[in-house]
Amino acid sequence: MVKRYVLVSSDNEKFPTERKVMEKSILLKNMLKDLFADDDDEPIEIPLPNVSSSVMKFILEWCEHYKDVDFEDDEDDDSKKSAPIDEWDKNFLNTDQEMLYEIILAANYMNIKPLLNAGCKMVAEMIRGKSPEEIRKTFNIVNDFTPEEEAAIRRENEWAEDR
Amino acid sequence: MNLKEVCGPTSSSDSLEKVLLSSRVSTTVTRDISANKKIQNDVKVTMSQGNQLESDGHGNETTVAEVAEVAEVASSGGSGKDTSIVTPFLVKHIADQNLIPKDNFHKYCYRHNPDVQCNKSTDELKMTQIQQNLEKLSRNDQEAISHCWSIFGAAPSQHRTLILQGLLSQCCFPQLSLISQEVSKLIKIDFISNLPYELSIKILCYLDCSSLCNAAQVNQRWKSLADDDRVWHYMCEQHIDRKCPNCGWGLPLMHMKRAKEYNAAAMSQCNSKKRKLEDGDTAEDASSSKSDNQQNQPQQIVRKKRPWKAVYSERFKVERNWRKGIYTVKCFNGHEDGITCLQFNNDVLITGSYDTTVKIWNIKTGELLRTLSGHSKGVRTLAFDDQKLITGGLDSTIKVWNYHTGQCISTYRGHEDSVVSVDFYNTTIASGSADKTVKVWHVDSRTCYTLRGHTDWVNSVKIHHKSNTIFSASDDTTVRMWDLKSNECLRIFGGVENNGHIGQVQCVIPLTIKTEVVEDTTDESESEEIREHGVNNNNNMNNNNSNMAANNINTDREQTRQQRRDRNRISIAQNTQGAQPVVLRGLNEANSLGEAPANPENHHEAQPSLPPNPNYPTHILTSSLDNTIKLWDVKTGKCIRTQFGHIQGVWSIAADTFRIVSGAHDRLVKVWDLQNGKCIHTFGGNTDSVCCVAIGDSKFAYGSENGEVKMYCFDDDD
Repeated sequence: MVKRYVLVSSDNEKFPTERKVMEKSILLKNMLKDLFADDDDEPIEIPLPNVSSSVMKFILEWCEHYKDVDFEDDEDDDSKKSAPIDEWDKNFLNTDQEMLYEIILAANYMNIKPLLNAGCKMVAEMIRGKSPEEIRKTFNIVNDFTPEEEAAIRRENEWAEDR
Repeated sequence: MNLKEVCGPTSSSDSLEKVLLSSRVSTTVTRDISANKKIQNDVKVTMSQGNQLESDGHGNETTVAEVAEVAEVASSGGSGKDTSIVTPFLVKHIADQNLIPKDNFHKYCYRHNPDVQCNKSTDELKMTQIQQNLEKLSRNDQEAISHCWSIFGAAPSQHRTLILQGLLSQCCFPQLSLISQEVSKLIKIDFISNLPYELSIKILCYLDCSSLCNAAQVNQRWKSLADDDRVWHYMCEQHIDRKCPNCGWGLPLMHMKRAKEYNAAAMSQCNSKKRKLEDGDTAEDASSSKSDNQQNQPQQIVRKKRPWKAVYSERFKVERNWRKGIYTVKCFNGHEDGITCLQFNNDVLITGSYDTTVKIWNIKTGELLRTLSGHSKGVRTLAFDDQKLITGGLDSTIKVWNYHTGQCISTYRGHEDSVVSVDFYNTTIASGSADKTVKVWHVDSRTCYTLRGHTDWVNSVKIHHKSNTIFSASDDTTVRMWDLKSNECLRIFGGVENNGHIGQVQCVIPLTIKTEVVEDTTDESESEEIREHGVNNNNNMNNNNSNMAANNINTDREQTRQQRRDRNRISIAQNTQGAQPVVLRGLNEANSLGEAPANPENHHEAQPSLPPNPNYPTHILTSSLDNTIKLWDVKTGKCIRTQFGHIQGVWSIAADTFRIVSGAHDRLVKVWDLQNGKCIHTFGGNTDSVCCVAIGDSKFAYGSENGEVKMYCFDDDD
């Protein structure tokens, strides 16, 4: 099959892509549906000015992996929501914080829900079970509370500590 | 325009290079964005205006001096070959920044945006160290290294990538290892503060409550997000009145409490005044309480719309107390004989006793509000709602009361023996009796149907209004399910082949359990064995060890029968009229003990399937004098779980979404986890057997044979 579709990253790198792979992105899926007739033979360039080439590579690798998987529209399904991160996704997203950040933004922009969910879960896992100080260390955050405020807020949240 | 692309050269917060650039003569190595930006502006100014930097005035002195040095080299027209390359590069690319739009969103990527708080502060220790290492070198080397940094610092992002790739290709493994270690420390992004609001909320929704509470303590921004109502509303949805599949925690609904708070808010004015009057004796107290009062006022109103986090935490505390067994005990003393039944709501506790009275108690104060007398013999059962109270007694009558006034509204006669169980829904009353029947009283149409089938006392009846069915538990060891419309028996729960009770069933509770419950594993051979023993037990009483349990049951039965006989006698002594049949009944019951209880045919028939109805309860829970509590699947009619632990008969059970409370002849009260069937707590300390239990969101109550009524409260506020 001829790859007629070319995604163009913000830094003008071109990514010829199968339609099936692209359609993991609801943004692109709808765009293709709305804008391009099937009988058009010209290669179509789709610029994605919010996604850089390095991120685009990641995203397309993910879409390629899942191209034959049908994700149901089960956003509100509790069991899905509480399900642990898929092992493959976990490995895939086990990258640096910068790339994870960019992937989350890109998945949000391109409307790739399962990838967005997995990315958000990865971040949640980085927070889970950590003390406030450990969280600050993990994300390089400055504590901007005064000691009095900090003590008050600790008291306010004490109830959850011991269960 | 790509944010990343433009961020390179402007990189005011790419402080590493810039700071290093200036660090040669600088002693303070950390500086803020604006200072760094000024440096760049200064450089530009220098380029165009020559060596007038010192008079520039808005630069940090040391920085200015350092930049001036670079500029000096530049303006002197290239004193060395290397600088002749460096200078035009700096001139060109640093000047480029002026072409960039003014607003921060286009000018910077998220990390370099001065509005963003993350990743800006430079590592002071590290910078000092670099400074010290640099100073060890010769001046020429210092200058050369500084040029490397300044070129990189001024380079646009594609250039930088190129430079980095070149540098990386030259690195050996130890150097790459250094890079990888440093890099992992450097790439830290405050996701929660920097991602769009809805994504931050989404991430936080994946967390558990203690992680969320820790997140709220990180900094101001995190606090505002981690305390967000949307997050906690989701948490409440996940946990309240259901067990969260994720963490296994479920929180009580406590809707009665909420209802009460509405009232409290409405009456806050007079209440707080009243309270203050009681508390405040001195003038000082009065004045301080006045200000308190004023503060309380808006608080009370706000309380109607409390933050979801507060809603969650309140319930969380109650749940934790349940789990950890943190409680206070209240005693309600007043009955002169054994307690047979009790029920409570958020305000009142109602108890019935062999002393023929019903007593209504204020839960908060423990005060006895009213005593209802009217039954001529012991009261055996009660059920109430906001308006009415229905009681049944050994005098074979059912009475309906307005318990607010104490007035007995009506008396229903029809049972031929003691009424030992009542339940009602709307205008339908169901009653179970020692005359082996269940009666259904339709108050509206003044009709009464008698459901026959049980072969012994009917100890417990429950109306399941959603499916229009009635469940009845009997001394004949079975539970029957009846259709309220046709008055037909739909199903019999019992028999050894269904792993049914082998002792009298005292209590039945229909339940709709949405989450999965832990079931007993059915090992075929084992269950076969049990069956055989069960059969042996029914047929002949051999003194086999394996029949010990069965023997216990029998002694237990005798004890309990004896008790009941005594009870009936007491009631006879107190009320001579109508005594005869009761005594006979009691003796008959005692004599008929050894007989096989239920209709044997029922046991061997395959369970007929139920008529389709989506609203049937999914399970029923039963307690029996065979010392066990059993959970049954309504669809299959089989017992799927047996809970062992009581060492004598279980007189009464009560259950909510999460827990089962059981009271038994062994004087113990046990709290069980409904989902997995495990015993969580055992409460002892009673001098007599526990006859009845009741459960609420944050408390349970029980009454015992010696007339004591106790309530265990797991909420903090009282």
